Amino acid sequence: MQADYGFAKKKLSIYIFGFSLCVLLTLTAFGAVIYPTFSKAATLGIIFTAALAQFLVQVICFLRLATETEQGVNNILSFIFTLVILITIISCSCWIMWSLNYHMMS
Amino acid sequence: MSHDLALAEHQHAESASIDVFGFWLYIMTDCILFGCLFASFLVLNLPGAAGPDLKSYLNLRDVLLETFLLLISNFVFGLAILSSYKNSVKKVQGWLALSFLLGASFVFLELREFAQLAQEGFRWDLSGKASSFFALVGTHGFHVSCGLFWIAVMICQLPFIQTDIAQRRLTYLGLFWNFLDIVWIFVFTLVYLTGAL
Repeated sequence: MQADYGFAKKKLSIYIFGFSLCVLLTLTAFGAVIYPTFSKAATLGIIFTAALAQFLVQVICFLRLATETEQGVNNILSFIFTLVILITIISCSCWIMWSLNYHMMS
Repeated sequence: MSHDLALAEHQHAESASIDVFGFWLYIMTDCILFGCLFASFLVLNLPGAAGPDLKSYLNLRDVLLETFLLLISNFVFGLAILSSYKNSVKKVQGWLALSFLLGASFVFLELREFAQLAQEGFRWDLSGKASSFFALVGTHGFHVSCGLFWIAVMICQLPFIQTDIAQRRLTYLGLFWNFLDIVWIFVFTLVYLTGAL
């Protein structure tokens, strides 16, 4: 009996698809910064969108998180919980320090 | 008799899936470690923070090369997992060795970058900005070095362990290696690309 790790079956075609997407997204992000053609805000938008897209591509095509089995649902639930903690830590730290700077330094 | 055997096999598979879930939870806690380092990096690099900017010291072409080394190493590791399904130990070892070489070049480039930064005066004790940069990128580099050591151990032990155990250990290592590449996406976006703008 094959143990259930909660990840979808790995396939060469999906790997190659994910890899090409990652190459494309990486080149887009670096290209936008090395050859600046847009305004600063637009460039920031491009690199953050590319990073989020590449994050999703790697999670789906390489990590193969999937909801097909009970173990897979457990993996995804712990993953979502971690993301909530990460967003709380990072955004709240920045917010607190920005707000301190805004109210006390100026 | 065959019923007992099936039951034992079932329990074995169950404990294996719990082991992998435990390793997954370890990776999630490691994510939180990186999250804290990212938070301190962002806080210490808010507009108006003291110290020189990283911008004038950056060489984005080297960072792009590092990114591709890690990405290809990750892809090659996937090929190793695929050939482990076909029970060809030699092929798995070959792909793992290639993955190791790519990862080692990544660490080499990163150390060279640190040495160049230090030489040009961007040292870790210069400012909060510099400390948080070296703490974040250095912790990632340290994780990659641990992963490299693990890949080397895996290459040596592969011929001597059973196929199902080998596949489980490859699953752990694959999760770890993939996790490091995912963290690197955010390192190059938040630290290098945003820093160079």
